Amino acid sequence: MDAPFSVDSDRSRVHHPQSSAGDGPNTIPSHDSNNLVLDVFRYTPIPTFVLDASLHVTHVSDSYCSVSGVPNRKQLLGAHVDKLYAKVTVPSNAVVHQGIRAAQDTAAPSILEESLNDRIWTLRTVPVFRDGTIQCFLMEVQDTTVAHQRQLELEERLYANETFKILVDTVRDYAIFMLDPQGNVATWNAGAQAFKGYSKSDIIGKHFSSFYSQEDRDNDKPGRELRDALRDGRCEDEGANVVITPLYKDDVHLGFSKVTRDLSERKKAESKLIAAYEESSKLKSEFLANMSHEIRTPMHGMLSALTLLLDTQLNPEQLELARVIEESGDVLLHVINDILDYSKLASGSFSISRDIISAPEVILSVFRAHQRVSKSGVSFETLIDPRLPIAAEGDSFRFRQIVENLISNASKFTEQGSIRIHATLQHEDENTYTVLTEVIDTGIGVPLIASGSLFTPFTQFDNSATKRYKGTGLGLSICKSLAELMGGDIGFHPNPEGKGSIFWFTAKLAKLKRAEYLNQLEIVQRKLDNLSCPPSPTPAFDKLRLLADGRRVLLAEDNAINRKVMLKMLAGLGFNHVDIATDGNEAVSMATKTTPPYDVILMDINMPVLDGVQATKAIRGAGLDVPIVAMTANALKGQAESYIAKGMTGYIAKPVDRKLLVDLLLSCLERED
Amino acid sequence: MKIPGAKDSIDEATFEQILEMDDDEDEREFSKSIVYDFFTQAESTFEKMDSNLEKKDLKTLSELGHFLKGSSATLGLSKVKDSCEKIQNYGQKKDEKGEKDITEDEGLKKLETTIKQAKQEFHDVEKVLRKFYNDEQ
Repeated sequence: MDAPFSVDSDRSRVHHPQSSAGDGPNTIPSHDSNNLVLDVFRYTPIPTFVLDASLHVTHVSDSYCSVSGVPNRKQLLGAHVDKLYAKVTVPSNAVVHQGIRAAQDTAAPSILEESLNDRIWTLRTVPVFRDGTIQCFLMEVQDTTVAHQRQLELEERLYANETFKILVDTVRDYAIFMLDPQGNVATWNAGAQAFKGYSKSDIIGKHFSSFYSQEDRDNDKPGRELRDALRDGRCEDEGANVVITPLYKDDVHLGFSKVTRDLSERKKAESKLIAAYEESSKLKSEFLANMSHEIRTPMHGMLSALTLLLDTQLNPEQLELARVIEESGDVLLHVINDILDYSKLASGSFSISRDIISAPEVILSVFRAHQRVSKSGVSFETLIDPRLPIAAEGDSFRFRQIVENLISNASKFTEQGSIRIHATLQHEDENTYTVLTEVIDTGIGVPLIASGSLFTPFTQFDNSATKRYKGTGLGLSICKSLAELMGGDIGFHPNPEGKGSIFWFTAKLAKLKRAEYLNQLEIVQRKLDNLSCPPSPTPAFDKLRLLADGRRVLLAEDNAINRKVMLKMLAGLGFNHVDIATDGNEAVSMATKTTPPYDVILMDINMPVLDGVQATKAIRGAGLDVPIVAMTANALKGQAESYIAKGMTGYIAKPVDRKLLVDLLLSCLERED
Repeated sequence: MKIPGAKDSIDEATFEQILEMDDDEDEREFSKSIVYDFFTQAESTFEKMDSNLEKKDLKTLSELGHFLKGSSATLGLSKVKDSCEKIQNYGQKKDEKGEKDITEDEGLKKLETTIKQAKQEFHDVEKVLRKFYNDEQ
């Protein structure tokens, strides 16, 4: 075990056998040089030891002695590396060998780390060659725990930063801007780029107020928002979906974050929802229209058969029964129409007409119908205020609908006792009458719990499986809307007599002008007489026949067969002066040139040259307000209103029903008078 | 008044209304003249439909459909009326209910079959009506 170096024990002087010769004249004197080298090895602050090619320790630094826990370096000098691990705490034998192997293999310094006694040690093995032969290994052992820790922290921080950046960058629904304290854009995320449609160079460094409208800028909205954010720690602009938050690091104000929600996705979802809702609402309307059509067709069949029956010779009892059927059938038709009305009321597209109404007549007529079919233990009474106007302006049909509903509810829920109808003039001013109608029953009454939802659509207070009382649950809610449309109100309270309820509603009816009033008075008086006497078979029919005498009618219809049928029907109703137009142009020129003007025009909608709607427009344009009745096979209810909106007075479906025609012509001629 | 064999093809209430216009229930002069006018009108309309079908004139076909729909509706000839309504819709390049768009080729194809069907329905109801008016040929 001969060492290539002889080691001076006290001063660490190394005599290199070959170093004294052949170094040339330019080298430092070898004695000083040797001393310096020895000093370097001994006093280097980096814990170091040197192994020769046979792996024996030739040099040890003091610093190594102190880190490896060996008090005396002499214990180490000359020892073989394999004996070393028994004496020192660091490095481990395995790592030393690993380092030496790596240094040999690569002929380059190797760096290895190991963890011993909760510290991290780094072993740097530097192989030293001369002429391609390994001379020695310089082994540096350093405690790198702190540096290592720092490195780990740095990596962690880098990783966190990276992740955070990815997170912020990939958020697409939010535009995130970082603003400096003055409000200039410092950076922004990809979401902002996509959302705002600017490129980076367009916006970085610009003031964020460029996102605002000129108006907002003029009002200094951006500046105000920054100030608010500083003051309150947060500023939210709900309209634009923007939140601005001031940012601080170690109490130093860095700037602001500005986060904007991208609403395009949400709007897409919303519009999808709306489309779905509209689709279902359309389906509902179609369904209702189809259903009512399906029910109406057989109902019309039944009612026209009944009309024929009423024209035959009936004894008084049969006549009365037939009239009950007729009235109930009418009511049933109304119910079907109500379902259609409901959807209109719900959508707010409903309006009430301004006809002539006789409130007492309507109430008496409904009352009469119910009295006839009343249960045996129930008595019916009416009390009508004599001050009630016999004729006023209002929607007779809708008024009747409310009365009908309240009375039929009362009789539905009353098994015994009485149903009384009180109609009083609650208020009268220059232009209107306010009519209060109360229906007082002694029925089952309304449980307290149900009183809140009585006027809510589709609710019935008895929703049990074994429902005793039928109904759609629509009636009262329609009544409420109708009463409100008539400028009134509706309500109920328990019957103070102890049993049953009082349902009441008010309606405002406009006063008639004098001439109208007198005329109506006469007609209504006759109707009232009819109510008290046995009714004549078809009062409307007789009445029209009287009115028809001498009236001039223009019939615009392109189909010869329809013309022939209409002519015959009109003749049957007492119209003997009927002129014919075969297209819209003809209708316009006849209507505008004939003097005196026609009393009524029946107008087919689909005609060649000029259609009925255009013809009506032209006639109205010429200043004529003659009643024009549309005739068409497109029988939906909404269409009738659209024709009326286009200047027509009324509407009748094809094939023309004689009874409906009678009513329509009657109202046209009465209006004209 | 029942019309033998008229089930489905004639709407009774509507036809009744025409019959009611007869001054004499044995003669039935008015309703008979209307019905026979209709026969003539239908035949000539079908002829026009055939020639316009050849010319592929959809617009005119639609108008002809509407025209015959009007008179068949007045008489309550439901089946003929329904087919005429379809002809009217197909001619406007719509489906039979007039809701969705169809192509011109589809329209022409459907028009051809529907016109044929309308003619058949017309001839069927014509027989029933001729029988009703005691005029079997």
